[in-house]
Amino acid sequence: MIAIHRPSVSPLQLAVLAGATLVLLPLGYVTALALSADAAIWHRLWTTRIPELLLNTVSLAGAVALLTFVLGVSTAWMVTRFEFPGRRLWEIGLVLPLAMPTYVLAYVYNYLLGFGGPVEQLWQTIAGSQARIISPQSFWGVTVVMALDTFPFVYLLTRSALLSFNLSFEEVARTCGASPLHRMLFVTLPLLRPSIVAGLALVILYVVSDFGAVSLLRYQTLTYAVFQQMTGRSDNQAASILSILLVILALLFLLTERWFRRKSRFYQTSGRFQTPQRVRCGWLHATALTACLATVIGLAFGIPAYLLVTWSLSAEAQAILDARFFGFVWNSALLSTLAATAGVFVGLPLAYLASRKPTWLNVGCLQTAYAGYVLPGPVAALAVLVLFLKVLPFLYGTVIVLIVAYVLHFLPVGLQSLEPSIQQITPNLEEVARTLGLTVRDTWRRVTLPLIRNGVIVAWVLIFLQTMKELPATLLLRPVGFDTLAIRVWLEASEEYYQLAAPSALLIVLVGLPALVLLLSRDWRAA
Amino acid sequence: MNTPSHSTQVDIEQLDGQVNLYQPASSILELRSVSCAYDLSRPAIHDISFSAREGEILCLLGPSGCGKTTILRAIAGLEPVQAGQIFLSGRLVSSSSETLPTEARRVGMVFQEYALFPHLRVADNIAFGLRHLSRAERRCRVQDMLRLTGLEGLDRRYPHELSGGQQQRVALSRALVQHPVLLLLDEPFSNLDPDMAGRMRQELHALLHRMKTTTILVTHDHDEAFAMADRIAVLNQGMLEQLDSPELIYHLPATRFVADFVGQADFITGQVRQGLVHTELGEFPNTLNRPEESEVVVMIRPDDIQLVPNKSAKPRVAARLFRGSENLYTIRLPSGQMVHSSESSTNVYEEGTAVELRVSATHTVVFPAEQPPRSQQRDKSDT
Repeated sequence: MIAIHRPSVSPLQLAVLAGATLVLLPLGYVTALALSADAAIWHRLWTTRIPELLLNTVSLAGAVALLTFVLGVSTAWMVTRFEFPGRRLWEIGLVLPLAMPTYVLAYVYNYLLGFGGPVEQLWQTIAGSQARIISPQSFWGVTVVMALDTFPFVYLLTRSALLSFNLSFEEVARTCGASPLHRMLFVTLPLLRPSIVAGLALVILYVVSDFGAVSLLRYQTLTYAVFQQMTGRSDNQAASILSILLVILALLFLLTERWFRRKSRFYQTSGRFQTPQRVRCGWLHATALTACLATVIGLAFGIPAYLLVTWSLSAEAQAILDARFFGFVWNSALLSTLAATAGVFVGLPLAYLASRKPTWLNVGCLQTAYAGYVLPGPVAALAVLVLFLKVLPFLYGTVIVLIVAYVLHFLPVGLQSLEPSIQQITPNLEEVARTLGLTVRDTWRRVTLPLIRNGVIVAWVLIFLQTMKELPATLLLRPVGFDTLAIRVWLEASEEYYQLAAPSALLIVLVGLPALVLLLSRDWRAA
Repeated sequence: MNTPSHSTQVDIEQLDGQVNLYQPASSILELRSVSCAYDLSRPAIHDISFSAREGEILCLLGPSGCGKTTILRAIAGLEPVQAGQIFLSGRLVSSSSETLPTEARRVGMVFQEYALFPHLRVADNIAFGLRHLSRAERRCRVQDMLRLTGLEGLDRRYPHELSGGQQQRVALSRALVQHPVLLLLDEPFSNLDPDMAGRMRQELHALLHRMKTTTILVTHDHDEAFAMADRIAVLNQGMLEQLDSPELIYHLPATRFVADFVGQADFITGQVRQGLVHTELGEFPNTLNRPEESEVVVMIRPDDIQLVPNKSAKPRVAARLFRGSENLYTIRLPSGQMVHSSESSTNVYEEGTAVELRVSATHTVVFPAEQPPRSQQRDKSDT
């Protein structure tokens, strides 16, 4: 062990190593499992499933990225460059789709665009009774659903980049005689590229690792295939091969984004004393903008939310609001609380030591913990599952396995708010407390903890909310009969019992709203 | 506002002799009673009128927040005007009702932080405004510009690969390559270290005179304004205090603000008796024509006072500031008033040395003692 070289090993150091082990061990085991697989299995997968799955996954990611680019950048442009009645409301409203898990949106669209659904009926009254529309269970159906759900990532990043955009670039282009269109295409958009690419990277990671929408809309991607290998065929080895492929794919996307960002690190686009001057719109212009924004938000949030509410109020839905339903609520809350608490306890030492003693070991441990970022839910579940089956088989089917998978999966979410809050406080504050006679423990309790409290709370809440809507890992690892709200939505929606799924879905959306408030308050401050 | 009143005194003719300030032969730029006060975050300007003649360098000088950048932006069309008109080459470009968009004005502008497009190479940055030309013509123009500004061989670089001085030259080239009617420079030297700023100042001055480009330069540094400008407009709190040649601005400031802003100045109180201003430093002509017994102040610059050690004199050396090329002495007069004197670098007197003051101002500038803020008073005469 590396720690032996140190004179004494602090409990904190041990916690950090344990945290990193928690992440590394399952991953390592899954990799080993995949690599030790028989060549015949590899061959079978390469010749049958993999080409199709790769093509499906990559083309879906590409199409969604394209659509979110158009939606995200244009909406961000509208709310940052124009002034019209209700602009502030739209500005906030554009984030709402993030509160809707993909499987909820997918199931609503399954109904809306489905066979005999309202949109088809409407279309048939216009175009004749034989007219068909695109099926939700197709490439384009999945693309639309995923794009409507994820475009706010691009919107948020583009918006804050536009708000801090240095107008001198556009002004100097004007003094060079450039027209508005020319300025937008050759000055503003190229300079926004780093932010847009970062937003698209988030979208692509989200799409690649999504399970909810593709499973409900029956679109074969790598993530869905991992799930199917585990459940349908119970072939964990094939699943682990697909998982490795999936992780490599996600890493490739991530590295591409890093490369883009490195290339454009000299883009000093912010600065300067002025905020952008919004163009005041006449009523015609304002109506057009409002119509555009209303359509986007209506499709991504308004109509689905309306349907969920009406379904929840229907007699069928009211009938299931019994003790069993509240049992699901309790299960969800319990799992989320445990996962959030465990996540904070694992994440805090990692973030703290990496910031205070940035040795290669501590920083390495922290980086390892971010691996969950490229682990889709089914992969995290698979990794934890195979490890526990091998090492501690008697724990299989307990909540503990589930919590470990959640921590592995959502640790990055927590670290993203823990890390900055720890980096913000200068070590001098702790040092001055020591010179004033406080012990290490007292310093922690009276100086460090109060200062990072907000970061810890945010991390806890974010992990809580993510767990609340988590679907694939819960499906794969839950104890028998232990259903959560997300599971109920998925099970009922799979059977097309739209009304029965609605109360759980609505509850998940409502609980998800506070996460948006946190996200916004951080983003708004940064902008 | 402050059109300088003509003085008949000989040395003013000398200060100001070579150019006729009052009948612009052909004015490239004219501002008529321009006011801007739209945005509270930006300094407002009130009733600004001036014009710039073809080929001259006109400098807008003032402290930060005085509105000089707002004027520049209004000229570029980046800021709407609330009242008044702006004319470019005799054509109305800005008024309260109409604004010709910046891209149609043919002005070149260099921003304080240069605003070089980070995603374009040097050559593409410079060629940005030349889209209407053919590729060959564009390249030719860019190469000419690179040669003129000493940037040969750097055309394939990206802005972040250049030094501060080179970046500034690129920004300047990008503005000049379009042959603008008017060049606008916003604090162009403030991001350079002092050595580089000095060199760039000389180069730019030579270049602008060679190209005969009419230029409006904004700065808060009076040395820069003196070095670059044919004429200087001093601004304070959105108003034009004085518009004159650098020499007149320095020697015959129109207001106490100008006197103080463009160089070190002491203000000695005095009283008018028998047609002369009596002060601790002696008598001065009553150039203000104030009535008998009224209180006035006389402006004295450090280079107007010469020190002669004299054991029986009352004033004492209170402090010495060594500035390399000179010594700046602070002298305490018997009344407690402090005045400054610049002496040659080698004249070193200890603190407390009794010195006699010899005042040899070439012209006396007198202000009323209780000067109302922003007085339009202006009077001057030679001693």
